[in-house]
Amino acid sequence: MSDFSKNVQCVLEILNNEDSLTTGEILEIARTEDYAELCTDCVGGDTFVAAANQLVEEGLITKKFGKGGYRWQLTKE
Amino acid sequence: MNDWTKIRNDFPALERIINGLPVVYLDSACMALKPRQVINAMNEYYEMYPACGGRSIHKFGEEASNAYSAARGKFAKFINAAKQEECIWTRNATESLNIVASSVKLPKGSKIITTSLEHHSGSLPFVERAKRDGHKIEIVKAQSDGTFDIEDWKKAIDSKTSLISVVHSSNVTGTVAPLKEIVDIAHDRGAIVMSDDAQYAPHHPLDVQSIDVDFSAISVHKMCGPTGMGVLYGKMEHLESMDMCLYGGDTVSDVRFENNKIFPEYLPPPAKFEAGLQNYAGAIGAGVAAEYLQSIGMHEIEKHERSLLELALKRLLELEHVHILGTDDITIKTGLVTFNVDTVSSAHDVATFLNEEFNIMVRSGWHCAGPFHYQMGIDPMKGTVRASFYLYNNRSDVDVFLKGIESLIEMSS
Repeated sequence: MSDFSKNVQCVLEILNNEDSLTTGEILEIARTEDYAELCTDCVGGDTFVAAANQLVEEGLITKKFGKGGYRWQLTKE
Repeated sequence: MNDWTKIRNDFPALERIINGLPVVYLDSACMALKPRQVINAMNEYYEMYPACGGRSIHKFGEEASNAYSAARGKFAKFINAAKQEECIWTRNATESLNIVASSVKLPKGSKIITTSLEHHSGSLPFVERAKRDGHKIEIVKAQSDGTFDIEDWKKAIDSKTSLISVVHSSNVTGTVAPLKEIVDIAHDRGAIVMSDDAQYAPHHPLDVQSIDVDFSAISVHKMCGPTGMGVLYGKMEHLESMDMCLYGGDTVSDVRFENNKIFPEYLPPPAKFEAGLQNYAGAIGAGVAAEYLQSIGMHEIEKHERSLLELALKRLLELEHVHILGTDDITIKTGLVTFNVDTVSSAHDVATFLNEEFNIMVRSGWHCAGPFHYQMGIDPMKGTVRASFYLYNNRSDVDVFLKGIESLIEMSS
């Protein structure tokens, strides 16, 4: 976990506490007080989504496109 | 008459096939692709004469010096600068803007003007300068379609105004500012104007003498040149009176040592702004990029981009869930369109979907233009999508892009 960037850790932490979220929902949660320490550069959103995509590549989370856009969730073991 | 297919073939990155599909590159407002001519010229430097310019007297050094100097001349021609010494090599447009903001001499109690449409690099250096020296800063608000009302400029520019930073072509709305009118008003009232030409110079004919602008900042990487290269154009009288930013090698004509003290004598522009070893390959690439674009013709490039933009805008305006940011008047636009799709929760969904399903590369985010997003009530985090066209794009790219958007809307509704 510590090898991951703060953005990556933030995405993992958020999805660990929620079931499945849209991109907009993740970004909104990321900027709340609870994640202030981890979410360091989420204002523009693009680096944050790039971090989420990195986790998909590594098989740690999944994303699915459908009504409302992408939904992200932790990979079920 | 240009052969746009032949021109497209100059760009090796467009030959790539990813996941069985060709690339549709619509992110040139962020980074332009590089033609072989530029890549070859830079490779030639590294392979054949990779030496210091202006220092070494051997053959490699002589060739590097000549190529470096010729590159400045090519660039000066590209923007029609009166003298090539008025073109300073920088790392990027941001650095060019920062040099002026921090080093130009301003009277005490001056007013600096910038706008709500600026890229952060066009506003923040000036906001910080005002803060540093206690100057007043005033923001001219762009209209909601990304245009400016010239009356707002007439009201804002007064006798106290000494410096104006204005974006010539917006990286968000693509709208082209009435720069010449702004410059004329500013000069009448004793102010000087810095133009952010990062988006304008690669896509339109830029004539700094005809506009009479005092400074211009240009990003070379957006005009088919190498990364890490920019240009600061400045009228010689201003460059001469400005403070230096960096001191050291290559900025001095002499450094005497007398009575245990060091006495430097500094060189005139451009040398006074180019301390230390320079990015010779970058400058050579920049010169070739300028020459390459000029050989095609900036009016032709502008026309080509606008024809693609017209096609894209026409269809996007018909799509129910697409909301375009900025004017749809292509006669005052650079070849880009920024929009949102209301069937998805974030602009990043659009960029991710287009990339993954169609190999369409667009930009999502706030485009380093937070103030305008806030002004328009758009949450910067959810951002907007920007598709930008350049000389290597064609109608097929636009068709695939529109197909991608239609598919996204269908699947997310």
